[in-house]
Amino acid sequence: METMEIKPDLIGQSVGRLDSHEKVTGAALFTDDLQFGRKLLHARIKRSPHPHALIKSIDVSRALDLPGVKAIVTGDDFPEHIGLYLKDKHIFARERVRFVGEPVAGVAAVTEEVAEQAVELIDVEYEPLEPVFDPEFGASPEAPLIHPDLEKYEVPNFIFPQAGTNIANHFKIRKGDTGRAWERCTTIVERKFHIPHIQHVPIEPHVAIAQVDQTGKATLWASSQSPFAQRNLIAKTLGISQSDMRVIAPLVGGGFGCKAGVTMEAMPVAIATKVPGYPVKLRLTREEEFYTNFVRQGLVINIKVGCDADGKLLAMENTMFWDGGASTEYGVNITRAGGYSSTGPYDIPNVKTDSLCVYTNHPIGGAYRGFGMSELHTAVDQCMDELAEAIGMDKVAFHKLNCVRGGDTLVTGMTLHPVGLEECIDKVAKAIDWGEKPPAGAPNKRRGKGIALAWKAPAMPPNAGSSARLELNEDGTATLGVGGQEIGQGTFTAVAQIAAATLGVPYESIRIAGPLDTQYSPYEWQTVASRLTWSMGNAVRAAASDARRQILETVAEAWDEDVNDLDIVDGVVISYRSEQEQPLKEMVIYGLPNEDFTEWTGGPIVGRGMFMPTYVTGLDPETGQGERAVVHYTVGAQAFDIEIDMETGKIEVLKGAAAFDVGQAINPELVKAQIEGGFVQGLSSAVFEEIQLKEGVMQNPSFVDYRIATAADIPHEIESIIVEVPQDDGPWGARGVGEHPMIPAVAALANAIYDAVGVRMDGPPFSAEKVYLAMLDAGIVN
Amino acid sequence: MAVHNITFTLNGEAEAAVVPSHMTLLQMLREEIVMTGTKNGCAAGECGACTVLLNGEPVNSCLVLAVECDGQTLVTVEGLAHDRQLDPLQQALIEIGGVQCGFCTPGVLISARALLDRNPHPTKADVQAALVGNLCRCTGYVRIIDGVLAAAERA
Amino acid sequence: MLNPTPGLPAFDYVKPASLPEASHFLAAHGDTARPFMGGTDTFVRMRDGFWGEKHLVDVKHFEGMNAIAFDSDSGLTMGAAVNMNRVIASPEINAHYPLLAEAARTVASYQLRSRATIVGNICNGSPAGDTTGACLVLHGVLHVHGVNGPRTESLDHFFLGPGKTVLQPGDIVTAISFPRPPQGWAGRYLKLGRNALGDLAIVGVTALGYPDSTATSGCRFRLALASVAPIPYRPVAAETILAENKIDENTIVAAAEAAMNGVKPISDARGSARYRQMMVRNLTRQAVTDVWQQIGG
Repeated sequence: METMEIKPDLIGQSVGRLDSHEKVTGAALFTDDLQFGRKLLHARIKRSPHPHALIKSIDVSRALDLPGVKAIVTGDDFPEHIGLYLKDKHIFARERVRFVGEPVAGVAAVTEEVAEQAVELIDVEYEPLEPVFDPEFGASPEAPLIHPDLEKYEVPNFIFPQAGTNIANHFKIRKGDTGRAWERCTTIVERKFHIPHIQHVPIEPHVAIAQVDQTGKATLWASSQSPFAQRNLIAKTLGISQSDMRVIAPLVGGGFGCKAGVTMEAMPVAIATKVPGYPVKLRLTREEEFYTNFVRQGLVINIKVGCDADGKLLAMENTMFWDGGASTEYGVNITRAGGYSSTGPYDIPNVKTDSLCVYTNHPIGGAYRGFGMSELHTAVDQCMDELAEAIGMDKVAFHKLNCVRGGDTLVTGMTLHPVGLEECIDKVAKAIDWGEKPPAGAPNKRRGKGIALAWKAPAMPPNAGSSARLELNEDGTATLGVGGQEIGQGTFTAVAQIAAATLGVPYESIRIAGPLDTQYSPYEWQTVASRLTWSMGNAVRAAASDARRQILETVAEAWDEDVNDLDIVDGVVISYRSEQEQPLKEMVIYGLPNEDFTEWTGGPIVGRGMFMPTYVTGLDPETGQGERAVVHYTVGAQAFDIEIDMETGKIEVLKGAAAFDVGQAINPELVKAQIEGGFVQGLSSAVFEEIQLKEGVMQNPSFVDYRIATAADIPHEIESIIVEVPQDDGPWGARGVGEHPMIPAVAALANAIYDAVGVRMDGPPFSAEKVYLAMLDAGIVN
Repeated sequence: MAVHNITFTLNGEAEAAVVPSHMTLLQMLREEIVMTGTKNGCAAGECGACTVLLNGEPVNSCLVLAVECDGQTLVTVEGLAHDRQLDPLQQALIEIGGVQCGFCTPGVLISARALLDRNPHPTKADVQAALVGNLCRCTGYVRIIDGVLAAAERA
Repeated sequence: MLNPTPGLPAFDYVKPASLPEASHFLAAHGDTARPFMGGTDTFVRMRDGFWGEKHLVDVKHFEGMNAIAFDSDSGLTMGAAVNMNRVIASPEINAHYPLLAEAARTVASYQLRSRATIVGNICNGSPAGDTTGACLVLHGVLHVHGVNGPRTESLDHFFLGPGKTVLQPGDIVTAISFPRPPQGWAGRYLKLGRNALGDLAIVGVTALGYPDSTATSGCRFRLALASVAPIPYRPVAAETILAENKIDENTIVAAAEAAMNGVKPISDARGSARYRQMMVRNLTRQAVTDVWQQIGG
């Protein structure tokens, strides 16, 4: 870990993105843009129409007879399980299907149309089973088992499946004594919320192409946040050596978590093993993107919070039933995160939490920007609002009284590092003129303001690692190899800044080695969890430091000087002692000669660096207590100033404000762009988005019926505020903020709605209809 | 099924293609001509990633048949910059940060180009209305709208 | 469940040289052929598998199909292939039939409106069409070319059910015409979608009002409702109340309630029946009030 030192000018500068030019000219290559020639085969997938059924037989004979069909695979061909945390999934269903849309068979054919026709000709006989759609019921002993073999699945030691149930993980917090604490509470709020499934909706649908050669070596091109995790998991499941499995990942057209782990990418690889030599492409339709891919899990949460007469929080009890869906391979860790962060960023001495990941016959829950926190905060921060109101305390004052501060003992027993949450609260309150309530703009409108907080730690295995390589070029520029993905957030730009600042060259001298390719790119766990600026940033800084050290040692030897007298400024090595100068140009490849050119020192400079947190500890399975549950928390606050149309229930956002403590903004404009984008995605989830499931069947799998925010739905103004209280283990103090701006949106908006019209609903989306009918039922409109 | 010989102008150059009846303009651009700047995001006319100019007007190329383009004039994102000079909209999106993942960007630029062609001095509301058919999940639209307004101001 | 294919299913694109040729082709091919103009509905439904025609007949190039003609005596005639953006931009329409442009502005997105047509929307028999209400209250008349030659069809009895109209195989709508609207009229289209713009209507209310000394109230209103019935719906009871009673707030409320009580909408992904009914009332009240203020109330 680097020690804090003087911050170079480039850190904190809003330089332009590295990738804009290619993206505005149409030159940027996404996975679907890659060309594979006329021998490319197209894959389509036979999917289950049942939420829960036994597969009695699969007959592919009619489909195989169709001219142009090259291969058909089923679950029988691939017996091994796959999964990021809990290995509970097959690439193609075996014996049983568990959700509508689950892959049952895969076809490769000469055209997409032929593949589609072949899919129609596959006959599958099912025996329907009783399905489970309600996670609360699913967790009960009466529920039919969806994974009878749960106890046999491979699982890491921090996940706790309950054999003989549908509970794939049960995370517990037992801190203090809530039973006794309730007696001391003067005010208690107890609520139940339902948070629906939502979809990620990247504008680029999932697409992957795989090719397996005659010796069994496999290459996968995929729109991917996780090329290394995909290499690891797919290779293991298909029995391929990791050195024979290569994943190439071009630019990603939006991720938000749905292109993390392995979702559909294993299918083309599996099919390709049956047609050696042929590239096999699978591209999801938008509708498949909606109903077959990983979703954000639904949540049913029972929550009880109490405070004393002064407003000081004393106790919380929280039972979360996560609708994990048909597989919880990724979801088990979301529920773990929901558990260890279950208080939200509030200091509460007595806590009892049960976070249960429950199998259902719904689509598979996976990572989604915010990873459990948006759902959790929807409940927690509405309760805080209610508590403050109940005891007659100003809500901002209430938040400041109870929010976490550096040095606090958190819900898991971990001591919190310094954070600037109070500053975030003050700044968003000021941004929306908290405390002032000007009249609404029209007689049929009501105005309201609301605030909510957020926290989130990178949710990942304790030892998720990063690595980086910096290779110098003849002209003094450098090529930076990383394994973290550019999914729009600007990570390539931020790490280029880190590399340039560390090495001592202009920002313009750094290029990223892309596309990511597991054969050449250094290892990165996954592009998730808002961890790249921090973790990959540390690795890049280490790689650039390593290159810098090699350069300075070469020059020191050539000049017979001490490295401590040398520096690299603007691409030139300078000596503060002799005032000699040596441009990096040429010397970083060819080294330096002695005076009569008879001897040389140095050589091609390649810096390497890595970072892995080594200090995260396990938690007690019964109490959830431990020394350090997570690496760190990023915290923040968000506020809304809204108007509600009493004639329709429509919400108009006059102003939104969001402040996050990012430790150190490497590139402030990119941070603000994340805050704006996350704000609108959060707002979109708060007012529009819900996967409407009926008997396990998605009712709205298209943009016509699943609406997201358009350019006309955004707040009149968004104020993005950066707070910087440095992180001890981040590059120059930086910590991540990619996900966080989405987290407080639902609760903040719910609190503003309450302020405007005095109603609360049991969960988003707060559509015009839901708001209007809630007002109608409350007698506010007639 | 029938195929059709068609000719058209694409980004200022004469082009010819042989297309089946049910091939969309989007498929022709991406799969026949292999010009992949125009993106496929939904194939249903909802996301706008495939927006191109047909005789100067923006259309969802997923909802136009290739054969309908016989004798017509097309402009795609690849045709916005000339002689290494970016379109002012491209320049403004770069400078103001209206690009994140970049997948919606080609369609956004085409819609915005058409807007400025018909209304060189749009209000913010005009820009929002013109971009309603271009979904973006990354930017929250803020810097896209600002970028279009900035480009209009500079022109 | 909706599960469309990645691309369009195979069909033949047919571009007849003349209107009679097109009409005969369509008549000869019955259910297996369909005329199309902008294709914004057609291609989506083909991909969804709702329609499976083997021949799509392009009819947008015939003479007059793209013309907008206004005559101060006979009114407006608009070719069937005139796209919605042209409606919005047309000086004649904005001067004499601004309600058409107002309704067209609420449809989908600009790039969709470059292809979408008012007539195509009518022909597809959508109960949710934003512009259909304006055509109804402006007394639009369809000009149809069938196997027996040209004829006209009033919109009053045109719609039979969702996706169903009186059109027969071989019929091609070539234009829609509108008489001069009544003296002193005003119109309003209020649309409620989930998004501010771009969505289909949860409810759409079209109102047209004009002074009329033969009415007890001194004026008459024509109303049309979208997305609340199997076909575009005229709430006659509400219109009658507005004709027969002195127009004031109470009368408008009574008319709005009559409109609400006259519809039995369905629940779907966009909205529930209950909400739709309430919104029929609220938007009708608002639209009628707006129009009433404009016509000198």
